[in-house]
Amino acid sequence: MTQAAPLLSVRGISKGYGEALVLDDVDFDLSHGEILGIIGPNGAGKTTLMECLVGLLAADGGDVSLGGTPIPVKRRREAMFYLPDGIAPWSDQPVWRVTGLFRELHGFPLDREARVLRWLELTPVMAKRVDALSKGYRRRLLLALALLTPQPILILDEPFDGFDLRQTLHVMDLLREVAAERALILSIHQLKDAERICDRLLLLDAGRRLGLGTLAELAELASAGKADLEEVFLGLTA
Amino acid sequence: MVSPHESVAVVRPLAALFRHELRRLLAGRAFWALLLILAPLAGYGYVEAARLFGEASRTALQFPEMARAMTPLDGILVPTLGAFYLGTTLLFPFVAIRALGQDRESGALKLALQWPLPLALQVAAKLAAVGTAWFMSLVVPLSALAFWRLSGGHLAFAETANLFLGHALYALAVAGIAFFAAALAESAATAAIVTLAFTLGFWVLDFAAATGPEWLKALGDLSPTQALKSFERGLFPVGQAAALAVMGLGLAALCTLILPPGLSARARWMRGSAGVGALLTLLAAALTPQSVDLAEDRRNSFNPADEAELARMDRGLTITLHLAPEDSRAREYASNLLGKLKRLVPGLTVRWAETGKTGIFGAAQDDRYGLIVYQYGEQRAESRSNSPREILPLLHELAGVQVTPVALEPYPGHPLVADARMAEIWFYALLPILILLAAGLLARPGRLPSHLRAIQGAPP
Repeated sequence: MTQAAPLLSVRGISKGYGEALVLDDVDFDLSHGEILGIIGPNGAGKTTLMECLVGLLAADGGDVSLGGTPIPVKRRREAMFYLPDGIAPWSDQPVWRVTGLFRELHGFPLDREARVLRWLELTPVMAKRVDALSKGYRRRLLLALALLTPQPILILDEPFDGFDLRQTLHVMDLLREVAAERALILSIHQLKDAERICDRLLLLDAGRRLGLGTLAELAELASAGKADLEEVFLGLTA
Repeated sequence: MVSPHESVAVVRPLAALFRHELRRLLAGRAFWALLLILAPLAGYGYVEAARLFGEASRTALQFPEMARAMTPLDGILVPTLGAFYLGTTLLFPFVAIRALGQDRESGALKLALQWPLPLALQVAAKLAAVGTAWFMSLVVPLSALAFWRLSGGHLAFAETANLFLGHALYALAVAGIAFFAAALAESAATAAIVTLAFTLGFWVLDFAAATGPEWLKALGDLSPTQALKSFERGLFPVGQAAALAVMGLGLAALCTLILPPGLSARARWMRGSAGVGALLTLLAAALTPQSVDLAEDRRNSFNPADEAELARMDRGLTITLHLAPEDSRAREYASNLLGKLKRLVPGLTVRWAETGKTGIFGAAQDDRYGLIVYQYGEQRAESRSNSPREILPLLHELAGVQVTPVALEPYPGHPLVADARMAEIWFYALLPILILLAAGLLARPGRLPSHLRAIQGAPP
């Protein structure tokens, strides 16, 4: 019996700026319905890896395959949608205009937009301009935009940044539902959050892969027994 | 080949993106600031033009010979649109830069690059939105023309439409420069400085080309402001019009080559260089001397009989001017004769002899200063005149032909003493108020669509 190819297969992704190597031969796979967390200290190369994956940054080397078929950089946007951190797009427009644009661009029915707005509890601020939203609402709007895309893989950079605990738990529940249909790659700074939501974790440090697997597998790698992710992280990045 | 299904799949999101871009331009302050400044500026241009035209017309109405000099193109259209030109040069770039620069600064570009629309189509949608905004700003000069017509003023359709076309092509070139600058620069402020450096640099180029050597004159032909001057003379300059379009569309197209953030520096540099090279080649190819005289008074044309014979002078006419280019006689010669001859005589060569004259007030060292030498085959003639009445017979003699001019109806002129008081109220009060009201109205978020109003918790 042959084993089914993973949804996404990443091999040997490398990226450097002059002499500095930001990503060094990074490999990982992503399965259908999986939530993969990318963790690592500041400057580990998390954002660079995500931007190289979707083709927003040119990688120096490496291959990306979808379902076993290599996908060139130009066609990556058909497979993956990446939501960067720290962006503030279309701030002079009301929320409903921005979500409406994404719905129209991707040809979704009207009820899908309504459902996403309801899911993310954006309905009270639909008529507000984006620049009048609080940080939490702005994050939710960006998540709504990501959910109004059709790609089978969602890549979210710091999806819980700006949320309080209750909101974070709510968004985690929501992302769990999303993962039933789409695989997720999340870059997460807060290790507690990563531990709560991710099926597997990719630990990066200085552009190198230090570990890949479930928390138990990483703990074993760090010889840390039944440690939590923070202890594993400290153990592996020491 | 693109299937009809695929075309529809592109057209719908493209239309959605165009509407989005236009809404963003109308939601921003830059566009309304442009209109708000244009209203009194172009209004003042019109009011003053109507006043001066009226003063000149009082005498001209008594003397038909003087009336022939009263052309609405020079007297009303060019001054009114001249003020509008300032707006296009100095303020319109801010509207255009906003369309692209804001997406780079806010991070929206990173999302847009993942949309199902190719970047080229996205830039095209932005350019179309910017173009639509510019066309909306025509409300200012068009209302001036409406006042002129209501006062009983005359407008010739061909020369009026041609002048507006010239301004539209100029605006396209400015938008192209603004887009390219926004794609290159790290911030909108830098892009604005780069764009203004280009547009104001064209003024310097025009000045330098007017008095400089031949190669600088040839370079000056590429200047959008120089091209606009041809339209203002009632000409449709085929080459310059094509050059303006190539500059605008080409620079906007270059944005798609250098915008994607995934490109390596080497690839970006190579793409940019190849694009600029191709664009310069296209610009050079577009500069044919052909033009069509659309002025109602045929100011850019000789008598049709003269023109027919000049067009047959295909043995290589060379004109050598012993004049400094900045000399008023040279300027008069250029407008009375040289411009027209360049349009008509195939393979005409113009040479500016070294006169030893330095600067406008310097004295010429050459005894032959002021002489203009005509060489056609073996034939040679000299003259100091810059009047077509003397030079055309001389050229026909060189060609060995005799020409009998065709009888033409003389241009009657259109003198008019117009009252511009209502226009003053419109441009200085009513129109600015309407612009402010429209800006306020369009800045509102609008009513939620029905499918969202129905959601529980939606604002009323």
